[in-house]
Amino acid sequence: MNEYWPWWLGGLGLGAVVVGFRILVGRPLGVSGSWAKIAFWKQESRAVREARALAGDQAAAQDAFLAETLAEFGEDAVAQLGVEAPNATPAPAAPEATPPGAHLVFLLSIFAGALIMAMLAGDFSPRLELSELHTALAQGSPWQVWFSLFMGGLMVGVGTQMAGGCTSGHGLSGCAMFAPTSLLATATFFSGAVAVSLVLEVLYRALGGGS
Amino acid sequence: MKTYLTYTLMGLAMGAVLQRIGFADYDEVHRMFVFSDFRLLLTFALAVGFSAVVFLALRAMTGMRYDTKSYHPGVIPGSLTFGFGWAICGACPAIVFVQLGEGKIAALATLAGILLGVRLYRILHARYLQWDTGSCGI
Repeated sequence: MNEYWPWWLGGLGLGAVVVGFRILVGRPLGVSGSWAKIAFWKQESRAVREARALAGDQAAAQDAFLAETLAEFGEDAVAQLGVEAPNATPAPAAPEATPPGAHLVFLLSIFAGALIMAMLAGDFSPRLELSELHTALAQGSPWQVWFSLFMGGLMVGVGTQMAGGCTSGHGLSGCAMFAPTSLLATATFFSGAVAVSLVLEVLYRALGGGS
Repeated sequence: MKTYLTYTLMGLAMGAVLQRIGFADYDEVHRMFVFSDFRLLLTFALAVGFSAVVFLALRAMTGMRYDTKSYHPGVIPGSLTFGFGWAICGACPAIVFVQLGEGKIAALATLAGILLGVRLYRILHARYLQWDTGSCGI
């Protein structure tokens, strides 16, 4: 196994991803948001379709009203109103809704990027357990390991949605914008993780291990 | 189409960087949480600091908006639940994909847990909680 990047290189790399995402995508990086869009695929697709249809309808309605006004009162009246003739003004650009497919592509690309990098770095190895330490902390059989992962994942899923963000949304993007909510959320989830990790460590040492 | 391309590029970069940082390594993450190794903490702090400086510059130069999230009653209990879960499974919502990319097949259980949890929360929220979380953006 290769050495991981030193903190300065990793920090600059991760920071570049946060900044790059904000500039290229136009919204702050946040992975739990993408999860929510994928978990509610049908509803999200419908919402995106409806938002587009509404934008189209509004533009059409605006044009129709202007055309009617023009027909009824003539160009002078329209000019008096200070409104431009139909089709002269493009419909107000509705905020472009991102289809859930793009969010799925994003998450799968994280997988692909990690896979490629792990292979290049010689870190790739298929295995059924997370690590020896995790197995020891979960105290036992592969079933207990998998069950603990499932329960941990469940808490991550519920928690990030309830908090409205995760390590990327609150921890990176939010903290970098000095958002009070995000600073509070980051301090809280970090403290929670520290508390549980310390308990696990104590239990582990009581059983004769040590990390 | 451009959206898909952008998301692909950003995902690839993020997955690659997180893999090299070692954020998907349970042992590294555990050592960060019990404060026996400060490398990941420093990495995270630098990432935030670097982004903060660039964001400040962008705001001054281009008038970039700060899209911050507003406080609601779910922030603290939600963050705590997330923190507990993170310490147990060693994964946050992005990291589970990095773990899978490294060949950690067990992370499939984490993946299933997160997916179920995300859906479960929506039900909990609709039936019992119903606090205003502000706009989540699309």
